[in-house]
Amino acid sequence: MAVITLQTFFIALFGIAALWFGVVVFRTSSMMRSALALLFSQTALGAMFLAMQAEFLGVLQIMMMATEMSIMAIFMVMFMMDPGGLGEMDMTHQKRLSIAAGVIGALAVSGVALFAHWGPTATVAPAAAEQIRGLGTELLGRSMIIFETAGVTILTAMIAATAVAMPVLQRKKTS
Amino acid sequence: MRIAVVLGFLFAGAYLVAVLEARLATGRLRLAAPGWAAMALLGRESVVPRQPDRLFFETAPALLLIAALLAAAVLPLAPGLFITNLATGALFVNAALAYVLVALLMAGWGPDGAYALIGGWRFLGQLIAYSMLIVMPITAVAMRAESLLTTDIVASQTGLWNILYQPLGFVLFFIAAMGVAFLPPFDLPSAEGELAGGVTSEYTGVRLAVFRLGRLVLVITLSAATVVFYLGGWLGPVLPPWAWSAVKILAVSATMLLIGHYLPRIREAHLLAWCWKLGIPLALLNIFIVGVMVLVWP
Repeated sequence: MAVITLQTFFIALFGIAALWFGVVVFRTSSMMRSALALLFSQTALGAMFLAMQAEFLGVLQIMMMATEMSIMAIFMVMFMMDPGGLGEMDMTHQKRLSIAAGVIGALAVSGVALFAHWGPTATVAPAAAEQIRGLGTELLGRSMIIFETAGVTILTAMIAATAVAMPVLQRKKTS
Repeated sequence: MRIAVVLGFLFAGAYLVAVLEARLATGRLRLAAPGWAAMALLGRESVVPRQPDRLFFETAPALLLIAALLAAAVLPLAPGLFITNLATGALFVNAALAYVLVALLMAGWGPDGAYALIGGWRFLGQLIAYSMLIVMPITAVAMRAESLLTTDIVASQTGLWNILYQPLGFVLFFIAAMGVAFLPPFDLPSAEGELAGGVTSEYTGVRLAVFRLGRLVLVITLSAATVVFYLGGWLGPVLPPWAWSAVKILAVSATMLLIGHYLPRIREAHLLAWCWKLGIPLALLNIFIVGVMVLVWP
């Protein structure tokens, strides 16, 4: 019982941290702070996975988000007019629509979480090594076509984006 | 106790790396030099630049040290001598090393200085170059061991070390590891003489001491990772396991420093081009070769 309580405590702690960093994303005007707040929000989610004994997913989340959000940071700094947030530019827009979308989204997710039929759940989490094996079998078995399609789609998008960017460079050279 | 021994080992290693670095820089071997340098730094005023992003400025040096220590936590120095043995150990090393980037970005953005800023963003470009060359060779190592447990990875090399089983992976990982630790010729974010220290340019006193300590521990951690993944970890005759680990880790660190000493700093564009056009295809080839070998000659 004591272990369960400790586990619940850490899940709640990291959950609150994730929410708090999520709020910070919109409360700061600095693009860099905003990006890194999102990074730490996602890291807190990874820590939640760890607290829920999903070791592989947790470590993967913590690893992926550090690089992804850092790369996002440079794009935010490059494309925003006021990356340092010193010009007091208002970062929010379409407030009513955003709030409505947020509330509806939150209600929908909560509804799914509460009312969906989740099927039989395991009483004890399998050992970490077993989880990795299970995930591997899933990715290379039943879900292979979904993941391969997603992978190829992302690759196609990357090549397409590069291709769109290339002619501009060539035009500059010839002119 | 175990944790204290591993930490002691890491900091002793970091001290010796500092001695070696000083030897290469000055040409004189002085065992006390890093000690004096540290004391001088601790005694100096720790200046805060004007209008810094204080949170990033203060967090960066500590985060660098923590990231290096976390990565080292799953690397075994001898049977039973590790801080923790995670089932996702090899992946965890990657996860912890990813925060080296976050620390350097913070150190770049935090002080509101041009040189630091350029250094920080340069390291982001460097990550795009090296990250795949860290992950893909580790994948091949895990394939042979059929496990992500670092102790299993060492045990899988009992017959033949990975440096001989997958030499291509070793070369790629070794180069990428130098990139993570921003050692010359990959010292783009710090770039003495070009960016005046880059990410460290605005740090002084205690904060600089922590930053330098973090970097030294990072060098030892990456050497330890190279040893665990490719040089058979603690395996070896006559000497006790921990001694083998120590000898190998110091040898790898010394090799990294020596190689950097004789090479000019690489340009960011060249680094990216080499890593993506040559490094990644070779890393994929390595995974393919190891895959075939695991099936044919386990």
